[in-house]
Amino acid sequence: MSAKPLCIENVALRVGGRTLVDGLSATIARDEVWCIAGPNGAGKTTLIGVLAGLAKPAEGAISLDGRALSSWRTADLARERALMPQSTHDVFSATVLDTVLLNRFPYLTGWGWESRDDRAAAHAALDALGLAAFASRDVLTLSGGERQRVALAAVLCQNAPLLLLDEPLAHLDLHHQIDCLHALHEAARNEGRAVVFSCHDLNLARRFATHALLLDGRGGAYGGPVADILTPERASAAFGYPLVLIRDGEHEALVPSLHRN
Amino acid sequence: MNARRAAAIWLALAVAAMFVLAASLALGSVALPLSRAIAALFHAHAATPDIADDIVLTLRLPRALAGFASGALLALAGALLQVLLRNPLAEPYVLGVSGGAATFALAAMLASAPWWGVDLAACAGAFVSIVLVLGLARTHLWHGEQDASPRLLLTGVVIAAGWGALITLILSVAPENRLRGMIFWLTGDLNGAATPWPAMIALAVALAVIVPVAPQLNVLLRGDTTARALGVPVERLRLRVYLVASLAAAAAVTTAGTIGFVGLVVPHLLRLAFGNDQRMLVPCAALAGGVAVMSADLAARTAIAPAQLPVGVVTALVGVPMFLWMLLRRPR
Repeated sequence: MSAKPLCIENVALRVGGRTLVDGLSATIARDEVWCIAGPNGAGKTTLIGVLAGLAKPAEGAISLDGRALSSWRTADLARERALMPQSTHDVFSATVLDTVLLNRFPYLTGWGWESRDDRAAAHAALDALGLAAFASRDVLTLSGGERQRVALAAVLCQNAPLLLLDEPLAHLDLHHQIDCLHALHEAARNEGRAVVFSCHDLNLARRFATHALLLDGRGGAYGGPVADILTPERASAAFGYPLVLIRDGEHEALVPSLHRN
Repeated sequence: MNARRAAAIWLALAVAAMFVLAASLALGSVALPLSRAIAALFHAHAATPDIADDIVLTLRLPRALAGFASGALLALAGALLQVLLRNPLAEPYVLGVSGGAATFALAAMLASAPWWGVDLAACAGAFVSIVLVLGLARTHLWHGEQDASPRLLLTGVVIAAGWGALITLILSVAPENRLRGMIFWLTGDLNGAATPWPAMIALAVALAVIVPVAPQLNVLLRGDTTARALGVPVERLRLRVYLVASLAAAAAVTTAGTIGFVGLVVPHLLRLAFGNDQRMLVPCAALAGGVAVMSADLAARTAIAPAQLPVGVVTALVGVPMFLWMLLRRPR
């Protein structure tokens, strides 16, 4: 299951006359974990939607495996990339297992009933996130963090080589944030997947991501290895607040400066 | 849920339907032994049909089938609209289909149209309402996320309110001798159901169009973004669901008037009992809705025989407490 390269060429994103991103170029390949960082409203969710092929960029081109995203059949694309939206809103009762199984939709054949393989993939994804005991719980009874982990399990069981995750760490406590990032890291390193996720915690991003895309929401967009992008200088400029890098042995952290200037 | 479990549920409901159908043929103001009622079905072309054959073949069988078909269409429409609007309180009439049908049907009755003229008017009224909602809420129909779905719902509710005003207007100017028929039409009544076949055909078409996309409906319930990312053609699917649900409601209303609560309560009871997998639920809703209305009509014409109640009264009297029980039992 190794990811095909996703090439972003000179992409611009505009929302309501505002230019969020301008001239963004990057290539996302297998084994890589990309973090999308930036202030609120900088276009992280819009960019993830565009990378998933659900919307077209205002300018530029995006191609997967050398073919323009827009020329892919949606059913084929669903086996190549999985998208986890920022929030899921459940209206009806359903078990966790059935909810996760829905992401096997791209593999259904005939009358659309899941095969033994589909069930095995769903159970494996639940196991990977420590959710095996939740399989028969009703999604309406889950806490926000638990629901978020179920959504992540659903995306993993889609078995797509490219994972696009919008704020997968939201609502999770620290322990589960680390577990979740470990699972994504493993997915990239052991299975040859490519992972793109948006995140507000720059320190977790610096620790677990291999690459970063930093958006400042005014058109500026920088992509590259995480150590070159999530620097105090660039992050300060993007977030509009001075950040300093502190070190203690092998630990590093970006913290807000005590002085505004 | 798997295919085998779904098939077992369908089979059980089909057996229940056959049972209620047999009871509908045998029971009534002239009670027949079950064997006699069933024998009548095979006397259709006998040289000398007697009175029992006549009762079964020309009165009870068409009425029972019309009840089954309209109940099936209503429950199917309710289940589909609940998915389309992602709202558990949606029901077949929520988008104004029944209001349009009722307004036109009552206007036809006011003009002393024959029964087929009333049916035709009801059908036309339902179509006018479908096209009106489609035209006004076109852009909202494609988006099921939180912000857009209420607007589709509101459009439907307001149009239904407009029809309601017209219905009251017609009732207030109608002559006394027509009022009774109008009230029966409005509550839902199978007495005037002349032939079950248009509704049966509508049911077959609706199921044939919607059952193949039932797996996509499951995904649609997760929200538009997820559905699109999984390869579901969301816009086309929504249009298909809206049209099938509206046409099903229109066919049911044309056959039996506005029978309430079946489209709301039946899909919910099935969800509570068997879960919300649309692949199982869509055919289930049709079968269970059919059984519900066929049973309700059996009660409506036997409870105070030889007088008959409108079937809509029975479904509402049973449906209201049942719905409240469902609403209140779930701890939230």
